[in-house]
Amino acid sequence: METATAHATHHEHVHGHEEHHHEETFLTKYIFSQDHKMISKQFLITGIFWGIVGGLLSILFRLQLGWPNETFPFLETFLGKWAEGGKISQEFYYALVTMHGTILVFFVLTGGLSGTFANLLIPYQVGSRDMASPFINMLSYWFFLGAGVVMFFSFFIQTGPASGGWTAYPPINGLRDTSVNLGSGLGFDLWILGMTLFIISALLGGLNYIATVLNMRTKGMNMFRLPLTIWALMFTAVIGVLSFPALLAGCVLLEFDRLLDTSFYLNNIIINGNLLGYKGGSPILFQHLFWFLGHPEVYIIILPAMGLVSEVLSTQSRKPIFGYKAMIFSILAILVLSFIVWAHHMFVTGLNPNLGAVFTLFTLLIAIPSAIKVFNWIGTVWKGKVRLVTPALFAIGFVSMFITGGLTGIILGNSAIDIQLHDTMFVVAHFHIVMGVSAFFGMFAGVYHWFPRLYGRYMNETLGQIHFYITLIGAYAIFFPMHFMTGLPRRYYTYANFETFNNFNFLAEFISIAAIIVFAGQLIFVVNFFYSIFKGRKVAAEKTVDGHDYANPWGTTTLEWTSPIERLHGNWPGDIPTVHRWPYDYSVNGREFIPQDEPLKPGEVPHE
Amino acid sequence: MSVTLSEQDILKEKTEYTGVHPQKFALWIAMASMTMFFAALTSALLVKKGDYRSWENFRLPTVFLFSTITVISLSVCIHAALISYRKAKFVQFRWLMFFSFLLGCLFLALQLTGWNVMVHGGMTLTENLSGSFLYVITAAHGVHIIAGLVVMLVFLIHAVRNRKDPIYELRDIINPKRQLNLELLVSYWHYVDAVWVYLYVFFWLNYR
Repeated sequence: METATAHATHHEHVHGHEEHHHEETFLTKYIFSQDHKMISKQFLITGIFWGIVGGLLSILFRLQLGWPNETFPFLETFLGKWAEGGKISQEFYYALVTMHGTILVFFVLTGGLSGTFANLLIPYQVGSRDMASPFINMLSYWFFLGAGVVMFFSFFIQTGPASGGWTAYPPINGLRDTSVNLGSGLGFDLWILGMTLFIISALLGGLNYIATVLNMRTKGMNMFRLPLTIWALMFTAVIGVLSFPALLAGCVLLEFDRLLDTSFYLNNIIINGNLLGYKGGSPILFQHLFWFLGHPEVYIIILPAMGLVSEVLSTQSRKPIFGYKAMIFSILAILVLSFIVWAHHMFVTGLNPNLGAVFTLFTLLIAIPSAIKVFNWIGTVWKGKVRLVTPALFAIGFVSMFITGGLTGIILGNSAIDIQLHDTMFVVAHFHIVMGVSAFFGMFAGVYHWFPRLYGRYMNETLGQIHFYITLIGAYAIFFPMHFMTGLPRRYYTYANFETFNNFNFLAEFISIAAIIVFAGQLIFVVNFFYSIFKGRKVAAEKTVDGHDYANPWGTTTLEWTSPIERLHGNWPGDIPTVHRWPYDYSVNGREFIPQDEPLKPGEVPHE
Repeated sequence: MSVTLSEQDILKEKTEYTGVHPQKFALWIAMASMTMFFAALTSALLVKKGDYRSWENFRLPTVFLFSTITVISLSVCIHAALISYRKAKFVQFRWLMFFSFLLGCLFLALQLTGWNVMVHGGMTLTENLSGSFLYVITAAHGVHIIAGLVVMLVFLIHAVRNRKDPIYELRDIINPKRQLNLELLVSYWHYVDAVWVYLYVFFWLNYR
């Protein structure tokens, strides 16, 4: 800090940033980086790692669900006692399901998605040299990594990782007794520790994102000139900052129950004929605290994807976004509603039906802003000169997935129907399509679209398109049939004892095969990603100013390409560009696009 | 090209929209977040108090009233420290910071005494939910106090170590970094103090 102060004093009169001559070591550049672009890459690559792990876990339990009577000897080779005789054990099956949910919801689609694109796009697109506090930003990544290390470690302890469901419900998770559930021992303590670190990471990141967007915009960048990506990422951060503390509070109380025998969530528990001393608690209390985060969490996942898709669709179809302000107010409406719908996850907990009706009403209201957004995306693409490159394909795929998954949301939002469908494969199908697959599509659209900004190279287009078609067709093949598994309960290890479910055996096998193919398809992406970092086609310079090469590969209006191809620390070698217009001037005034930093011509009427 | 672009460099380029220092703004957002945390805990208490028939009310130990007075004095004291810093009265500033630190420690001691009183009255951590909530919420608040004390201590050590250096603090008036850090610290303390006042009133209303 002392040196920082000295430097700051030293550079009091220096405006540009070429004057710095700090030593750049491997450690400061790649490991303890405070540069938003490097932190973005760190989040992305960590997210990809977790994506592979989370996906692999699902393949393992799909083996069990698809072929419950088969044995796979290679599993024993890799998993040892968790798959004795080549069959995944019941305990490990539940651990797989639990960790699959935890990893994908939090580590990939929250940390990996928000962390990557908020870090990359916010400073670039609002016109700022870095985040409000680069140091806190670095801490955010390190807490994220630490959370991951703790979670990963829990796979290698004797009692295995948490296995009581990603929702961490007590009472099963409220007791440390491993005779009740193996994963409720040390594994779950590590889960709580990992989640606590993750929540800290999300909060540190979130407050930085909001402060940067609201306080560090460049000249001329008023709020209604912000790209929709920034709106979405900012509102995402707002949701996170206000809802994650509730989960933290819930986890604190849960850990007190586990370690210090309080009774916040436990009441009259009998184990092996012994009445334990817990009295007065209620597991429903945990569900309220959990879902107060848990529901907003799905918007934390989907809003960044929506923002990325809006930007990609507008850019790649060379048309202004349809209904810019409607998009913003829709996100705002989703933000507000996301906080008052949590109990729709709890219709079967004995919730007062009148209260259930209120939550049903608010839940169904979310369909309105969602439908507005879908309409606007279609309106954006409509009659546009769509360039069917990989990011555009994924963005269109997102819209398709979001519609498909959204429709079943209307069905499930009704308490009367939800009571029948609760905890069945229908629910699994719904949230995987609307939140899991959709968010992945948005994320892929973003990665393919902004890869040149991250690395100065393109990803391979052919591999990208193969990846897209496998993922689109495969994801539908996995999740569409699940809608028809009427009444099939989720989270079951085997359905062998229920004759009535035998007719789903074919579907289960089909889904498992599709899942394996889709997972293999994602490896194409991984190969493409890492290959392109080193060997991808380079972004060609369109002009060179003061020794810096500039390009604008997609012809975007936003500020990120006003910065040189090379990722400079501080983003712009000279002054930060001033903004004169809204971000969606595509195909206007006889031009394909007009960058935001181009002044208005005399007599030109600005969009807003 | 530089690596350690300092925060000063980034913030130097003011824009027409920078009404508030971004880091102050970030602290306010953090406060909103912490508010949600305590709101979640206290509303959990209300829910349980409403649906648990064997909820045992007990008299809130009087010592918590003294801790409330202590945090209010702390807020006054640390704010006075900020004012003397701005007026470049550094000796006075160091003493006031020191007293604030002592008051913070006193607050923690009083909280522990409060717990002690409860334990001796038979209200242990696991005795009844009513007690459990009070312990957990005061502990969660105590963690925030400890965090503030650590930062305060670091700040104080810097001030005391450099007391002989005639331009150390002075330089920081020219360079607003240290003053900013002090302002952030003071805001944080006002916040955690206000949270305690809220918690005290909340407990006082719920435990009698």
